[in-house]
Amino acid sequence: MRFLNFIFTILVFWIVLGVHISWQLDLSSFGLDGVVVGLASTKLGDFFGVLVALSMLIFSITALRYKQASHFYGLFYLLSAGLLLILYARDYLLFFVGWEIMSITTYLLLSYSLSREALIKYVVFAMASAMSLLAGIAILYSSAHSFSYVDAHRGFTALSDDMSIVFVLLMLFAFFVKLGTIGFHYWLVDSYEQSSDLFTPFLSAILSKMGVFALIIFVVYVVDISARVHYILAIIGVVTSIIAAFKALDEDSVKRLLAYSSIAQLGYIVTALSLADGMSGALYHSLIHTLVKLLLFVNVAGIIYVTSRSKFSQLGGLIYRMPQSFIFLLIGIIVLAGMPPLVGFGSKFLIYTALLEGDNLLILSAMLFASASAFLYIYKLIYGIYLGHPTAKSLESVREVPMSFLIPQYIIATILILLSAYPAMIVPYFNQILQELKIETLPFVNTATISTEVASYNGLVVLGVFIAIFALVTLMLLSLSSKSREVKDRFDIAYCGEEPNESTHLHYGYSMGKELRRVSFVAVILRNSSSRFYDYLSKQLYAIAQIVRGIYSGNLSLNFNIAALFALILLWWGIQ
Amino acid sequence: MILIDLIMMLVTAYIVGFLYYGLYRNITARFQRRIGPTVWQSLFDSFKFFGKENSFSHGWMFYLGPVIMMSGAIMTLFFVPFFYQSEHFRGLSSYGNLFLILYLMLLGPLGNAMGVGASGSPFGAMGITRGLTRLFAMELPFYIAVVALISINHSADVATIAANQTTYNAFAYPLLFIAALFSFVAMMGQSPFDVPGAPVEVYSGPAAEFGGKFLALLMSQSAIFSFAKLVLMVNLFLGGADGFGDLLIKTFILFLFVVAFGSIYGRFKTPQSVNFLVKIPTALAVIGLLLAT
Repeated sequence: MRFLNFIFTILVFWIVLGVHISWQLDLSSFGLDGVVVGLASTKLGDFFGVLVALSMLIFSITALRYKQASHFYGLFYLLSAGLLLILYARDYLLFFVGWEIMSITTYLLLSYSLSREALIKYVVFAMASAMSLLAGIAILYSSAHSFSYVDAHRGFTALSDDMSIVFVLLMLFAFFVKLGTIGFHYWLVDSYEQSSDLFTPFLSAILSKMGVFALIIFVVYVVDISARVHYILAIIGVVTSIIAAFKALDEDSVKRLLAYSSIAQLGYIVTALSLADGMSGALYHSLIHTLVKLLLFVNVAGIIYVTSRSKFSQLGGLIYRMPQSFIFLLIGIIVLAGMPPLVGFGSKFLIYTALLEGDNLLILSAMLFASASAFLYIYKLIYGIYLGHPTAKSLESVREVPMSFLIPQYIIATILILLSAYPAMIVPYFNQILQELKIETLPFVNTATISTEVASYNGLVVLGVFIAIFALVTLMLLSLSSKSREVKDRFDIAYCGEEPNESTHLHYGYSMGKELRRVSFVAVILRNSSSRFYDYLSKQLYAIAQIVRGIYSGNLSLNFNIAALFALILLWWGIQ
Repeated sequence: MILIDLIMMLVTAYIVGFLYYGLYRNITARFQRRIGPTVWQSLFDSFKFFGKENSFSHGWMFYLGPVIMMSGAIMTLFFVPFFYQSEHFRGLSSYGNLFLILYLMLLGPLGNAMGVGASGSPFGAMGITRGLTRLFAMELPFYIAVVALISINHSADVATIAANQTTYNAFAYPLLFIAALFSFVAMMGQSPFDVPGAPVEVYSGPAAEFGGKFLALLMSQSAIFSFAKLVLMVNLFLGGADGFGDLLIKTFILFLFVVAFGSIYGRFKTPQSVNFLVKIPTALAVIGLLLAT
């Protein structure tokens, strides 16, 4: 069964890269006059399709280590088919069908490992998102009399002012839930934490990207990109990034921290999408985020597989037992932090210059701030797992993770480093997408130089010079006459003149970030949570449900009477 | 050709950086009514430490941490042009931009964090957490000021920003300059924002485990990095420089201000410095940004 994964992956690669899809169906014969649905290959769809196929490849390789029931994989294929349907749909009807397939198969896939509470959270939010999307599509159809993307903008402008606001809010709600924008992320963190380690990389890398894809379709085809949604999107994105960065720091569970990190990164993309010029940055960041989250979640999955521990307070000191994994996580966090010399800087650079050209200076400053505050949780991630001291004796005897975890990381790290040296390699491809979306293209100089109207930078020079300096300094240090003595005993550290032993708490990963509660604005962020609002909401709903239950008690004869009464009212209404 | 240029930049930064470090110790001593060491003492110290025997290593990441720090400092230096017109001492600035420099400045802290984390000293890790906490707060006013300057000049090229100043940006946009100065004091690791480095405490702070050649490397990178930051600040706010005399005078004035400021004020705790930096300097920077654009 697990080898079938590879066949399906190749199939998806073939569909995305090899087949030019073009299919139309006139629904007039089914009683829907003038409604035409269709699928067609687009550059944008192909781009996200490649991401899906790549993630499936990583999934297939990791899956060799996991024992899952065969219907787990069956559902996974169905999910992938739903994703392709979303990507290649040319109208909102098929899009919605794909969206529902995605939500429901994800629910079933999550149901293998999620707790009841987390599962209910997921299903409530996913269904609310889907219903809100359906309502939005219905509003659009009422004025456009067509589901097609091509007619969507005409339909949108024909809407009355009030209706268009309702429409935009409904659609944005649907997408924000998938993106996990702050306030709508209530389901996301639990789902990421409890989902199977095999499935989490896919969940973070691809399913959140569907929100991005839907948002791109929405801002490009439906609303005018320079319209009123502009500022809302920019502010929501940047606030999400900042809040999620501090929330991440407070988590003890590795996967929860990464879930918040995912939320923060998607915040950048939302902000980028508020501007037409930001489209290239948004696409680039989608690519980078997909790669990085695959890398990090597979890395963490390996750690959990080997140690059976998933909390920072139970890990630590694994660097010299798993040097390869450590290097991959290091590459991952450097890209995640957006630091040169690696490619994470490229995507952030595109977003920053877009914001600069759009004169969104305060948003840009806030975004730089969000990016700098991400450093803390990124350090917690690598320190808590790999650095410091092992928190248990058993951690001192673990081995490197199996190959089925390492191979995916080798693949992704290679892509990342290649992109770091030639960050503009994919710019011509992006330009094709931008042309298709009728957005101004990026200037292209050579494959190593990313340039925008304000500035440019050369990835090859940055990476090359860094490696050269690094090598020279290392050589110099090695050649110095003073030999450094390797400390064998891990307790041989400066410790205020005392000698630490087994019982001393030496792993700082325990409480890293807790002291930030003393900073007033961070304390405000950490003290408040959307979960309070949702708890309140659920309590109120429960109270209403109690009242309804009083009437609709489950007594069969009472039910029959209510149904009969209802039928009578309908009948009377019909006669009127 | 560019290689000679880069080497010259490095040597200049190394020597001037240590000269300033020596002056820093001297000036602080005078503030505290001591005589202090000779000006070149720190440079000689660094030579001496490079040759010291028996320094400990806690494995390869511990070894490479200071190397990454040094690489970060040198990278930053290479992307900041010394003079705004000259053909020489431009380094690699034509391959980068101001955003790149802002991010390159973070490589050092990353290397430091990795090396200290690998050492296993909880006191070191404590210093790192403090440092990273201070980092995001101190970057905020500076980022806002830099964003404003980039927007005003419509260019993210440091030399262009330096050359565009008929009156110095420091006087044209005083609020931005003051806000950036607060950040700058923190970036230079000066009091009142010096708690992460813990320069007074013996057994805590990031450098807890580093001795011998590692300490020499840390000192050297600090000297180079300080000079790079001074040059960047001069380029951004003080009209850049067109010769060595100009550069040294302007950097020294800035340096003297930072040292004097640091000698006078007591030390903030980490949360205090974050609370301060995200309030007053940030507010100044935002007002400055709104006024300037």
